[in-house]
Amino acid sequence: MIEVKNLTKSLPNGRKVLDGISFKVNKGEFVGILGPSGAGKTLTLRCLNGLLKPDSGSVIIQDDSNSGYDICKVSKRELRTIRERIGVVFQGYHLVKRLSALENVMIGRLGQINTLRSIFYGFTDAEADEAIKALEKVKMAHMADTPTGNLSGGEMQRVAIARAIFQSPTLLLADEPISNLDPSNAKSIMKMIRPLSEIMPVVGVFHQPEMTAKYCTRVIAIKEGKVIYDGDPKLTEAQLVEIYGEELEQIEHQEHTIPALITN
Amino acid sequence: MMAKVKKYSFKRYRKYIIPVLVLLAVAEGAGLACGASLARLQEGLFKGVAFFGYMFPPDWSAFSEMLQPAFQSIIIAFLGTVFGTLLSVVFAMLAASNLSNSWVRNITRFLIGLERSVPEIVILLLLIAAFGLGAMPGIIALALGCVGMLGKLLADVIEEIDYKMIESMESVGANKMQVIVFGVLPQIIPNLISYALFRFEINIRLSVILGAVGAGGIGYELDYSFGMLQYHRAFTAMLVIIVMIFGTEHLSNILREKIKVGGALK
Repeated sequence: MIEVKNLTKSLPNGRKVLDGISFKVNKGEFVGILGPSGAGKTLTLRCLNGLLKPDSGSVIIQDDSNSGYDICKVSKRELRTIRERIGVVFQGYHLVKRLSALENVMIGRLGQINTLRSIFYGFTDAEADEAIKALEKVKMAHMADTPTGNLSGGEMQRVAIARAIFQSPTLLLADEPISNLDPSNAKSIMKMIRPLSEIMPVVGVFHQPEMTAKYCTRVIAIKEGKVIYDGDPKLTEAQLVEIYGEELEQIEHQEHTIPALITN
Repeated sequence: MMAKVKKYSFKRYRKYIIPVLVLLAVAEGAGLACGASLARLQEGLFKGVAFFGYMFPPDWSAFSEMLQPAFQSIIIAFLGTVFGTLLSVVFAMLAASNLSNSWVRNITRFLIGLERSVPEIVILLLLIAAFGLGAMPGIIALALGCVGMLGKLLADVIEEIDYKMIESMESVGANKMQVIVFGVLPQIIPNLISYALFRFEINIRLSVILGAVGAGGIGYELDYSFGMLQYHRAFTAMLVIIVMIFGTEHLSNILREKIKVGGALK
């Protein structure tokens, strides 16, 4: 369970980018955060794993193994321990391009093993087997030895998901995981993320309302740093207009042109 | 027609006359100041050619005596490059904005720049004052000499690594050391090797020069032979130096090609 209470964040120039964001996500939910660009979606997500410290408010993460902690108030060391169990999938994949897919997956466990062991003794066979299993789940086991710099965008994002699975996280965050992908790859990535929500709460930022309608269990819309919608993933045309305003046309336009522009 | 001729007339060179005259005047003044003149150049050239006459043929009997010092020079250059590269990696990480904080970064960048502005010979002379003559001050001087160049180049390579990638490793709970070993080193190793090879070529030359100043090796043999007026022996030393430099350069080219062909280097 992750509960966000009253997050606020202002830029140095005084502009409020987050203005009292609150929501709660339980296990079994796949929540998509929508909103026009600059609304504060990604900033909200970055607050959830402590990459960004809000000015005020709290982010409570709680699972079976602990009674809950506020990620905004923990020390740097505690934050590292908490992050070990938070899987993150980014828009730009963020893999180490010169390491193989398998090695990249193993990076997911770095926080959980001793530093000396990770640097000098390496990973155990059992861990390698588990990493291969994580790759199998995303149908990438056959490319385990390929340097990730040689993979396509869709393949890289699969490896990134395998890395998150290998972490055995209690929370999964996804920052625009399908924005750089063509529709068929985007769909298969969404299909892979969806079942993970049965094990842990999943929160993702998306730009594609038709994708969140199909795969998410709930949608939260953020506009000008405020939550303006929280509920059923299927949005009506009127609701979309309210969320995106003038940007709606661009988003719909984008969806028609992407297949022609991106050849993966 | 007339205009065309005029275009190509001498007049168009007029604007160059004053700069050229100024340059000649400065050169003459500088020559007077440090005792250089065309007459001396001419004299020296003739003497130099004649000198080659004295030197020829090389003293092949001294050849076997040259091998050990040549090897010593190569070892000095090699160890200087290895230690220097390792030192440079540490400095580069401290000097890269995405791994270190701005204070440490600026201080390290300043130190790297400072090192770059001090010639290796000056470092060697200072070290000889501290350690005495021998190979060790030579190795240390070359190692420190690497930092000014490799430290800066590698710091720039590290800064080009996508910060988001480092951030994504931090977001699985990895600490700095793990980020460096798994995120930074694999990304910079190809550049690291190619810069280190380039520096090795420079260090081979430098180790000859430093040898003449007191670090031992083939440079010392050359200096000694000239000092003892054994010109045939000096010629042998020069030939050995040339072969040594060509050989190491060729070797490093082969290695560099290997890396290029290999592509992904582990």
